[in-house]
Amino acid sequence: MAIVEVNKLTKLYKGNVGIKNVSFDVNEGETFGFIGPNGAGKSTTIRTLFNFIYPTSGSAKIFGKDIVTESKEIRKHIGYLPSEVHYYENMKVEELLSYSMKFYKVNNTKRMIELAERLDLDLKRKIEDLSFGNRKKVGIVQALIHEPKLLIMDEPTGGLDPLMQNEFYEILAEEKAKGTTIFFSSHILSEVQQTCDRVAIIKDGEIVAVETIENLIKNSVKTVTLTLKEPENISLEIEGVLKEEVHGQRLSVLYQGNMKHLLNELNRVDFDDILIEEPSLEDVFLHYYEKDGGLES
Amino acid sequence: MIIFKREWKTNLKSLLIWSASVTAVILLLLLIYPQMAEQQQDISELLKAYPEGLQQVFGMDQLDMSTLLGFYGIEVFMMLTLLGSIYASIFASNILSKEENDHTAEFLLAKPVTRRQIVTEKLLAVLCNVVILNIVATVSSLIGFQFASSKMPMDTFWIFVVGALLLHLTFAAISFFLSSFIRKSRKILSVSLAIVILSYFLSIAVGLSDSLEALKFFTPFEYVKATEIATTNQLDPLYLLLMGLIMVVSISLAYFIYHKKDMAV
Repeated sequence: MAIVEVNKLTKLYKGNVGIKNVSFDVNEGETFGFIGPNGAGKSTTIRTLFNFIYPTSGSAKIFGKDIVTESKEIRKHIGYLPSEVHYYENMKVEELLSYSMKFYKVNNTKRMIELAERLDLDLKRKIEDLSFGNRKKVGIVQALIHEPKLLIMDEPTGGLDPLMQNEFYEILAEEKAKGTTIFFSSHILSEVQQTCDRVAIIKDGEIVAVETIENLIKNSVKTVTLTLKEPENISLEIEGVLKEEVHGQRLSVLYQGNMKHLLNELNRVDFDDILIEEPSLEDVFLHYYEKDGGLES
Repeated sequence: MIIFKREWKTNLKSLLIWSASVTAVILLLLLIYPQMAEQQQDISELLKAYPEGLQQVFGMDQLDMSTLLGFYGIEVFMMLTLLGSIYASIFASNILSKEENDHTAEFLLAKPVTRRQIVTEKLLAVLCNVVILNIVATVSSLIGFQFASSKMPMDTFWIFVVGALLLHLTFAAISFFLSSFIRKSRKILSVSLAIVILSYFLSIAVGLSDSLEALKFFTPFEYVKATEIATTNQLDPLYLLLMGLIMVVSISLAYFIYHKKDMAV
């Protein structure tokens, strides 16, 4: 069953396109990633789903209910973590969380304490004294505390240190095991690859592709940076290299295909150092999605 | 009533401070009165030395400062209408817009509440706070009257009470309306205060010059003029209608705009 159904959703800002004809479905129990560079329209889509802003055209349903006319009903069962967490500065963390719980008519103090302990969050502190990362933790607890059926998170790991990110992923995995549907946006490819079943890729306000993670990984692109003496004189001639660039002593290569194959081929190159990393989303879009307008599956 | 309770709690301190200030002003003025009454002859002489225009502004030509009624109308009621309007304006102007200004709208609107519900509960918070300030002012006045040697005609006093409350609510409604679409707290605060202060000075200007008579409809302070209340013992039905109209229109527009707009989060 589709929990979220988005149908040609369009939002224009004073003539500028925020999002255009965005369509995708999120199925029950699924972890769905929403990925795109900054400014692509991820937050605009999410804000439209919550009816913070009205769609210019198109429609969307959550739990089979219309996002504009039945927004209140929908929001009873959603937990939301915004990308930038702003709360009432003069409240204590626990005050804010119990204020939040009142709206859902629940009192999960035990769950609040558990989650706060796992995230190493001090409930007695005032919001105004919290760092960016700690505010994010309050946001996470606030999103989870009423045990929603659907979690919507906008750039959830931004501001969290790696240790906390792991704890956060663990919590997400537990939620998923309970049957919670998770929808989150990110601009980091690897984050989505780790946690999602499917992803929608958005660019300049339009959906470029909706993919399963297997396809995304199969077609995965890596940036390989070699440090060597005279990079100008090296020609790699390896199948799967999409782009080669020389910066001083560094040779940057965008590679798509089997990693073992790449390593075997690189064996014959006399390099001093090697760095294999995720390409930036921009690289993926530039050299992949725009080539033929979408992923081949 | 979750949002109402939250607003009540957040604004309690400011209500207490304002209540204390209004009480202090009213009691202080009413404590001065007996001494003034004692020297009433001198005072009447002194006031006659004021330019006629100025006497008109404060209604001194129609009200006798040496009676408690006159003194209340000229001094206490004037202070009460001005202070109360400033309070109502500051309070109402901030109440809707602060959620967007502080980016907490993203929290509030993600909760299972309709926008109508948010407006209603915040409106109730405004009403409640303004009414309480007026109750405090009324009680303070009643206490203050005990110090006076002469009697305050109570029927007129209650009209003063109702007039002040309606004036405060009128300014609150205007500011509440502004709060539904101006997002920056600082901007809306200055606009709301400017409306109150300019209205006040406009009512002074109207009193000073007959040629400005037509402008009296543009300042709510003219709607509840102390001299009118004291001499006619009633509130002008036309002005009552005007205040009602301003409130209904402002509040309806606030509901409409807040429901329709895209939230800045």
